[in-house]
Amino acid sequence: MIDVTMANRGTAQRPNGTQGKICQFKLVLLGESAVGKSSLVLRFVKGQFHEYQESTIGAAFLTQTVCLDETTVKFEIWDTAGQERYHSLAPMYYRGAQAAIVVYDITNQDTFMRATTWVKELQRQASPSIVIALAGNKADLGNKRVVEFEEAQAYAEENGLLFMETSAKTAMNVNDIFLAIAKKLPKNEQAGNASTSGQGRRLVESEGQKPATGNCCK
Amino acid sequence: MNEEELLKRSAAERDRIFSCYDRGRENGAEIDPWEDPAYEVYHTTDRYGFIHDKRLPQKMDQNEIKLHHVEMERVKKWDKMNKHWDTTATKEKLRRRIYKGIPDRFRGEIWIRLLGITKLKHEKVGKYEEMLSLARQWSTEIRQIDADVARQYRDHINYRERYSLKQRSMFYVLAAYSMYNMEVGYCQGMSVLAGLLLLYMDEEEAFWGLSVLLADKKYSMHGFYVDGFPKLNRFIEHHDKIMTKFLPKLKRKLDKCGCDSILYALKWFFVVFQERTPVSLGLRIWDIFLLEGDRILSAIAYTVMKMHKRQLMTMESLDEFCNYLQIKLEKDFGYDDDTVINTVERSIDELKRSKLDYPGPPLPHEIPRQPFGTFKEPTFTSKVGRRADEFSEAQQLMRESVVQRRQTVVIEEESRESSATPTEMAMANNCGANSSLGGSKFSFDPSLADGCCASPHGSRRSLADTSVTSTADLSVFSSATRSQALDNSLDTQSNVSVGSSGSGGLPTPRASSHQPSPDIVRIYVPYGLPPGPTYKDELPRTLPRSLETNKIRIKVDPDQTPIVESLKPFVLESPELELELDLK
Repeated sequence: MIDVTMANRGTAQRPNGTQGKICQFKLVLLGESAVGKSSLVLRFVKGQFHEYQESTIGAAFLTQTVCLDETTVKFEIWDTAGQERYHSLAPMYYRGAQAAIVVYDITNQDTFMRATTWVKELQRQASPSIVIALAGNKADLGNKRVVEFEEAQAYAEENGLLFMETSAKTAMNVNDIFLAIAKKLPKNEQAGNASTSGQGRRLVESEGQKPATGNCCK
Repeated sequence: MNEEELLKRSAAERDRIFSCYDRGRENGAEIDPWEDPAYEVYHTTDRYGFIHDKRLPQKMDQNEIKLHHVEMERVKKWDKMNKHWDTTATKEKLRRRIYKGIPDRFRGEIWIRLLGITKLKHEKVGKYEEMLSLARQWSTEIRQIDADVARQYRDHINYRERYSLKQRSMFYVLAAYSMYNMEVGYCQGMSVLAGLLLLYMDEEEAFWGLSVLLADKKYSMHGFYVDGFPKLNRFIEHHDKIMTKFLPKLKRKLDKCGCDSILYALKWFFVVFQERTPVSLGLRIWDIFLLEGDRILSAIAYTVMKMHKRQLMTMESLDEFCNYLQIKLEKDFGYDDDTVINTVERSIDELKRSKLDYPGPPLPHEIPRQPFGTFKEPTFTSKVGRRADEFSEAQQLMRESVVQRRQTVVIEEESRESSATPTEMAMANNCGANSSLGGSKFSFDPSLADGCCASPHGSRRSLADTSVTSTADLSVFSSATRSQALDNSLDTQSNVSVGSSGSGGLPTPRASSHQPSPDIVRIYVPYGLPPGPTYKDELPRTLPRSLETNKIRIKVDPDQTPIVESLKPFVLESPELELELDLK
C-alpha cells in the first residue's frame, strides 16, 4: 500500500507547511455501464460509497488533490456515462486529457472486452502521451470473479497500461491507482505541451486552457 | 362451518393470543418488524415515499400546517373538478390549478388524463403484453435495463427492495418499450421516467405514459433519447441563447470556467429535472411539464440559473458549478416550491416577449421514423451486445457540434481577452446551431481556430447579419463561409445578440426583428481571414470577390421570391462592406 496524503481541496499547502509545485491534470473515467466508475470517483474524492449509486446521465466533474513528494497534483476528474449511446459525448471529455482510467468489472467478461476497445480508442484518438490505467473494479466480489488477474495484467503490460484491481466498496487500491497515475505523469514544463500535439491540441485550447495553464506546473 | 367448529375456532384464537402474551418478547416470540417502534422506515419516509437518512420531524412546523390546510382545501376543489372533467369550467380552471400544484392524491389520476393514457390503453388492448413477450425473446437492451433498474430510485420505499413489485414493473415496462420503439430501444434516463410514472400508475399505464412522452409531439422525448441525441443539441443551443441574452455575465463566467451547458442541462432535459431538484419541487415541475409539454424545459432551466445567479457568480471553478447544480440544488433548492413555480411563470412571459420561449417543434430526424410495435429481428451484433467500433452518423454530428460549440466559446473568450479594441469583435453566438440539423455536414474548421490563436488579432472577425427571404444567391461567398451560411440558413430562430452579451461590442448590424419563419437566410460575412492551411476537404480558399470591392450583391428572383424583408447597407469599421440588392 502506498501512503497517500490528501491535501485540502483547492489549496497548495502541504501538510508540513512547505509550498511545493502544483500540477493540474485532466483525467477521464471510461468503461461499460455499471462497472463502478462513479463509485471509484466518489470513494477517491469524498471517501464515500453508495450501495445504489445512481446511473450517470451525461457526465459529472469533480476534483481531488493529492500530495506526492514535492509536488501537489490536482486531478480534474471527468466521470462519464457508460451506455454506448452516450459514447458520442466521450471525446469531449477525453480529448485533452492527460490521464484516463478505463474501468471494468472483474465479475463480467464483457466489461473487460469493452475496456480493451476503450483503450484502443484512446490510443487512436486521445493525446499520444496520455497515461492510461486499467482498473478491475469490484475486487471485493472475488467469489464471482470471471476475469483473471493474470489475464488483465498481461494485457496491461502489452499495452503499457498501469493496472490494479480495485474495490470502491472496500476502498482497496482506489487512492493507490490515482497516486500511481500521479507518479507516472510528467511534472515538468513539457508536460502540458505533450498533450497539445496532434489531435489533442485543439481541444486543449477549447478547454479554455491557455498555454501557461495548460502546462501542469506553475 | 357448524356451531361446534365455530366455537373451536374462537377458542383456538383466544389461546393463541394468550400464549403470545404469556411468552412475552422471549422464547421465540414472533414479532413483525413493523410492530416495534424501532421500525425506522416509518420515521424516515416522507409523504412521497422517499426514505431519508435521518428521522423526519414528528410534528409539522407552522408553514407545513398552513400548506397542509391549503392542500386540504384544494383537494375538495379537485375532487369536484375531477367529477366534471369535460366541462368548460374545468378547462378554464385547470391550467391555473395545475400551476398551484396537483394535490398528491390526485396526481396519478390527473397525470393519466394529461397524458391521454386511458384512450391509448383501450385502443391498443393486448399490445403491452405482446411487446413484453417479444422482449422476453428478443430485446437486446435487457442487460442495460437491469443495471439501471437495480439502482433507480432505491431511496424510495417502493423500489427499496430488490425485485420488489414496483421494481419488477419498472423492468417489464422498459423491456416492453424497448421492443415497441426499436429506434430508441432503451437509453439511460428512461428508467427515471418509467420509475416516476410507476409511482402514480400501474404497469400498463406507465408503459403508455412512457410511450406518449417519447412519441407525442407535445413532449417528443424520442429526439432526446434516439441515437445522436439530435434534440439535445437544439435545446442546449436554445438555452445558450437565453443565457447570452438574459444572463450574459453568468454565461461568460460559466464559459470561462469551461462549464458547457451540456454538463448540467443534459440531465435536466432528459429526465425533466428529476434527481436534480428536491422531490416535491420535481413533482410540481412534472405537473407543469405534463400540462405544457417540452416548451417548458427552457423556461425552467432559465429559472434555475436566474434564481441562483448570485451564488453562481461567486464561484470560480467548474468543480463548484457542478457540485452546486448537480448535487446541492437537489438537497436544498433554497426557495420554496411556490416561489419557484411563480418565477417559472414570469420566466415564460419574459422569454415570450423575446420570442425565446420555445425552441420550436421537433425536426424531422427527431421524430420516430418507423411505426411502433412492428417487430424487426435485431442484428447479430446487437443480439450479442457487441459495441460499434465507429460512431454512427448521428453520433458523429452530435460530437462535432459539441466540440464546435466549445471552440466558439474559446474563440470568444480569447477575443475578449486579446482584442485591444473589443468593438471589432463580433461573433455569432449560435454558430453551433447548424449541426443540429440532420443533413448538416458542417464540421469545425481547424484552420479558423489556429489562425485565431496564432496572432492576437487573428480572431478579429466580424459578421454581417441580415435576413432576406429565401433563394438569395449566396454564390458570392467564399466556399469556407458558405458552408456556414448555408447551414445557418436553416437556422430559423437564431438571434445574434452580441450587443447584449456584455462584450461591449458594437451592436451587430441586424435586420429588424422578425417572426421566425423557415425561409430566413442568415449570412455571415468574414473579412481578413488569416491565411491558413488548406481545408481538409480541399475546397478552394479564395476570398470572395466582393471583399475586394467591399460589396456583396444579392440577387433575388422576383418570380420565385417574395419581398426582401430588410436589407439596409451597413458599414463595418474596417474594411467597409456594402450590401447591394439587385432586384430584377
